[in-house]
Formats: sequence, structure tokens, C-alpha cells
Amino acid sequence: MIKDQILTKRPLNILEKIEESLERLNDKIEVMIEIQKNGSDNHRSNATLPDASLDVMTLLSMPDHLRKTAMSICRCSRATAEEIAEQTKRARAVESAYLNQLVIMGYLKKERKGRKAYFYIDKETQG
Amino acid sequence: MSKIIAVHSYKGGTGKTLLSVNLAATFAKNGKKVAIFDLDFRAPSLFAILKTENSEYWFNDYLNNTVDIDKVLVDLSDKITGNGKFFAGLANPATEAIRDMSSKDRKWEMRALGRLLALRESLLTDQNFDYIFLDTSPGLQYSSINAIVAADFVVVATTGDRSDVDGTKRMLKELYSLFEKKTGLVLNKVLDPSATAKKSEMSNKVKMAYQVPMLGIIPCFCEILRAEGNLIFVQDKPDHPFTKILAEMARKIENNEVN
Repeated sequence: MIKDQILTKRPLNILEKIEESLERLNDKIEVMIEIQKNGSDNHRSNATLPDASLDVMTLLSMPDHLRKTAMSICRCSRATAEEIAEQTKRARAVESAYLNQLVIMGYLKKERKGRKAYFYIDKETQG
Repeated sequence: MSKIIAVHSYKGGTGKTLLSVNLAATFAKNGKKVAIFDLDFRAPSLFAILKTENSEYWFNDYLNNTVDIDKVLVDLSDKITGNGKFFAGLANPATEAIRDMSSKDRKWEMRALGRLLALRESLLTDQNFDYIFLDTSPGLQYSSINAIVAADFVVVATTGDRSDVDGTKRMLKELYSLFEKKTGLVLNKVLDPSATAKKSEMSNKVKMAYQVPMLGIIPCFCEILRAEGNLIFVQDKPDHPFTKILAEMARKIENNEVN
């Protein structure tokens, strides 16, 4: 009986770990795709800006697709790509890509908690 | 449904404060719980109209994150008849405070937006406010755009003045629509819109010109000028045509009929 439990528990753990790794990998690929799509130079220069703040003038100057994502995150201040996708009615993968792009640009911070990735505006270090 | 309403305009003197105070008062008269905030930090005026100069804390303090919103709200419900509630959060008129507010940086403005957005939970959800009115300063500046972003609905005040028309059109196209905001245009200080037929004709013309929904047309009333901002018009003159126009605007906002 106990032996059975151990046997079923271990493979499940391993599978979960594999899934987690795949998700991380997926996020990284999405970032790479975005960088390639939009040209990397632009983002690299933005990423080095230490004081990239997500204020309304910045929101105004953003391309439409990013503004939508950025405004949603302003509203909930901390969210997963899935939660943002619910608000914007766009696909999770799309929002994940845009959110990661905003992280690269220095406007958002990203934090992993277990299997979920949270995006947030870092108000403490930004000023 | 629109709960947070920003009142904005391209130029100054279009009647934003008159509109926001009287719209808020109209809702309060109808039994709603309403708060109005002065976001014109460069030229605060709400304190003068509502005659509440001795506020202990100001809306500036709330945005500066030094006090909670409850400390800022002044209860003015006794100025309004009926069971409604009418609260105000005032901008500090002291020269020092105006100077301080005009020297804020982008990061402060970003956090101020967060504080404005937080009102939705603290006032609407937790304290059951029905409406929040944000009276802004004219043109494109941080405090006003913050208010627009935080709002569900933007009342855009304009006059027929040439200097105002083009700028308003540009703002409609390049500001509100970028933030995907619902807007309602108020054409204020209109000369002689007497005949009803003429009124609807004018409304259509304005709609065509600006390509946005109309919230209402307000004729130029000498009585309003004569009052010199000394009273809450819809409260003190319940039978005046202005009061009726405002009541109709409030009804449209409440029933989501601005189109």
C-alpha cells in the first residue's frame, strides 16, 4: 500500500517539475520571439534605463498593443498573464509575451511563485 | 456602469467645476452617495465654491500617501436636500502647496495614478459610494490624464469658441480614444438654443463635428454668472432650466444612455 503511494507520488512530482520547466522555457521563448519581432536594439537601450516608470505620459507614447496590457496591469498592480488576458480579452500567450516585453523595457518586474509568474509595477524602487 | 467620472476640457473657463459640482450635487439630491475631488492643483477652486477653506487634510496629502482618504473627505451632505450624501476632497490652495504639486516627477505621478485607482476599492467597494467625480485642470497634464485613466467616463466640456474647438477635437482623437475611454461632450455657454428643433439640429451638428456622443447642451445663463460661484446652483435654484438640464445629464449617465 505505502509502496504504491510512493510509486504514484514520485512520478507526479517529476511530471509537475517537468511542466514547470516547460513553462519557464515557454516564457523565455516568447521573450525571444518578441525581441526578434520588434528589433532588439530598441529594447536593450530601454532596458538599461534605470528609471523607466509606467506613468501616463509613458502609457500615451506606447504602441497600442502594449498600452492595453500596461493599463490593465496599472489597474490591478499585480497579476498573472492569465488575469490580464481576462481583462483584455486576448490570448494568454499574447499577454504573456507583451508582459515579458514590458519587463525587458524596465516597466514591470516579474516574480515566480511556484508554477505561477506574477507581473507587477515596482513602486518601491521606482522613486 | 460608469462610477468614476472625470470632468475635463482642453481650455480653461469651459465650466468644468460648475459642471462637476452640480452633476455631483444632482446625484446627491437623488439620494446617491457622492464624492467630488479637486484635481486642479495649479488653481484650486472647489474649496471656494463649497466654502470649506478650513480643511485639515487635502487631497494633495492623499496623493502624497501621507493620509487615508477618510481624513481628506469633508462631509457636506447638509448643503444638499434629501437623504443623499455629498463629500468633497479639496486641493490645497496655499501657494506653497501649488508649488510643491507642480514640481512632482514622473515617478510621483505614477504612484499618484495608483492612489487614484485605489479609490475604486476604498470608496466604491468598501464604503458604498455610488459616484466619484474628478474635477480636473484643463489641457494635457499629468493630474488630468491620471484622472482620465482612472475614470470610467469622461465628461468633456467645451464652448463654441474657435480656440477651444480644434484642441478638443484633437484631445478626443489622441487622448481619450487611446485610453479607450467612454466620453460625453457638453457644449456649454451656447447662445440662444431656444427652439427645441434648433436644439436637436445643433446636437446633431456637434455630434458630426466631434464624432463623439453628446451628453448635453447648456445655454449661456446670466443667472449663473450673477451667482458668482456663490451657490450650488442645482440645490439653490431647483426650478431653473440649468437644474433640469443637469438632471437629464445625470439620468443619461446613470442609465448608460450617452450615445
